[in-house]
Amino acid sequence: MTATLETALLSTADTAVELTAVRKVFGHGSSAVVALDGVDLKVKPGEFVCLLGASGCGKSTLLNIVAGLDAATSGSLQLNTSRPAVMFQEPALMPWLTAARNVELALRFAGVGRLARKRRALELLELVRLGDVADKRPHELSGGMRQRVALARALASTTVSADGAPALLLMDEPFAALDAITRDVLQSELLRVWETTNTAIIFVTHDVREAVRLGQRVVLLSSRPGRVVREWDVKDSSDQVLDEINTHLREVISGHAS
Amino acid sequence: MATPPDTLDKVGAGLDALDVPVEAHRPPLWRRFLKTGVPPLIAFALLLGVWQALWASAILPEFQLPAPANVWNELVRSISTGEAFGILWTSLHRAVLGFLAAVVIATPLGLLIAKVRVVRAAIGSLLTGLQSLPSVAWVPAAILWFGVTPSTIYFVVLMGSVPSIANGLVAGIDQIPPLLPRVGRALGAGRFASARHILLPAALPGYLAGLKQGWAFSWRSLMAAEIIATSPQLGVGLGQYLHNGSSLNDINMVIAAIFLILLVGIGIELLLFRPLERAVLRARGLTGAL
Repeated sequence: MTATLETALLSTADTAVELTAVRKVFGHGSSAVVALDGVDLKVKPGEFVCLLGASGCGKSTLLNIVAGLDAATSGSLQLNTSRPAVMFQEPALMPWLTAARNVELALRFAGVGRLARKRRALELLELVRLGDVADKRPHELSGGMRQRVALARALASTTVSADGAPALLLMDEPFAALDAITRDVLQSELLRVWETTNTAIIFVTHDVREAVRLGQRVVLLSSRPGRVVREWDVKDSSDQVLDEINTHLREVISGHAS
Repeated sequence: MATPPDTLDKVGAGLDALDVPVEAHRPPLWRRFLKTGVPPLIAFALLLGVWQALWASAILPEFQLPAPANVWNELVRSISTGEAFGILWTSLHRAVLGFLAAVVIATPLGLLIAKVRVVRAAIGSLLTGLQSLPSVAWVPAAILWFGVTPSTIYFVVLMGSVPSIANGLVAGIDQIPPLLPRVGRALGAGRFASARHILLPAALPGYLAGLKQGWAFSWRSLMAAEIIATSPQLGVGLGQYLHNGSSLNDINMVIAAIFLILLVGIGIELLLFRPLERAVLRARGLTGAL
């Protein structure tokens, strides 16, 4: 990540994230598993990209590599953004902190002062319409509300950079554990937040409908090893694209039947 | 996809309204007292009744089973002469000092065992083993090493409580969901910030349980040490008081001493640890046990 900093400056304008020939192998020798094999991916600042794939396609691994939680075996990663924020399938809020304090925690780690922290945390909670429950603890909130607090916290950690670098949000199936209506609401909430904050988003999902609804671009990954199979521009999504992606996803999965 | 956004906003607002938790109504003070305070009082009264009846039946001689009234008189005597306060002070300040020293030693020790693999492999099971070794077993050795001095007493107290506190902290850290430190890392927490803002608060319930047990162990270790290691230079603590009662064949004194030892144990639990534990667990929504 640090080695590619000089080249990063050249292409700041049109690329937020660039992965080149990223390969990730878990284990050694005969038991080694190739999770990712030569993945190339470019994300523009403010772009909403959905990574789609069945289980075992390494989409979470890819996200972890971009987040810096995991290192690629080979290949390069180039980030022209502030510190990427991550949202997981579970909200993973600190159970002993109130909603506001949870958001503040991200700002504290970034070295933001006390008063600024308080103000910013409340702003972000207002953004996800949770200003009223800022003093509630996670166990007093519903699953959907918790995930929105997690969204506010993620935004806090990615939008604090002083140099005005574009923000990047990485989401690992964040709505998979929610009920259908809540998921529906949160998807529209996320789109609204995305439009107002101009954050680039990489969104991992196995739900074609969700990918098409949210993303500007859908990237289909194959499973074991994970490779980019195809990309679709879904800005003006139609049912036809949906069917096409579904067909491809089924092909990728049925290729593993033996 | 077909639903227009403002309709969805309304649905969202509706969901939030439905999801906002209903404030649990706290019953009034007298009712809570009725529920939690009265049963132990009744149990105590029953115990006294059985005791009185047993004494009245005169199955056991008076020097083995005294009348409740006589024990009460002994208690009143020692309190009115001020003797009881001196005794309590001697024992309590030793227990508190010993306990605090144990906290200071056990906390870094627990952190080391929990986070450094080699240390855990080397002394982890030893520490667990020490927990099941009655600390009274250290008294003879300590007397040989330190003589009948306060050092002996503090040594026994430390051997009793350090393993409990350290083990509590280790258990607390082991039970942290791995996702929490990961989130910390994703949010940009360094090693120190992660320990301060994530690991320690997350391990607090386990640590607190360890502290509670550590206090109980230091109190009973102290009693064991005081009963065995008696000398004029050590002053009179509850243990010596109990020992003196036994030497004088004064069953009233013996029972009064046991009563005072229990009273301190229950008092510290009710006044210090119970409220602390309640506050910590309630903040995390773990109210099932309360």
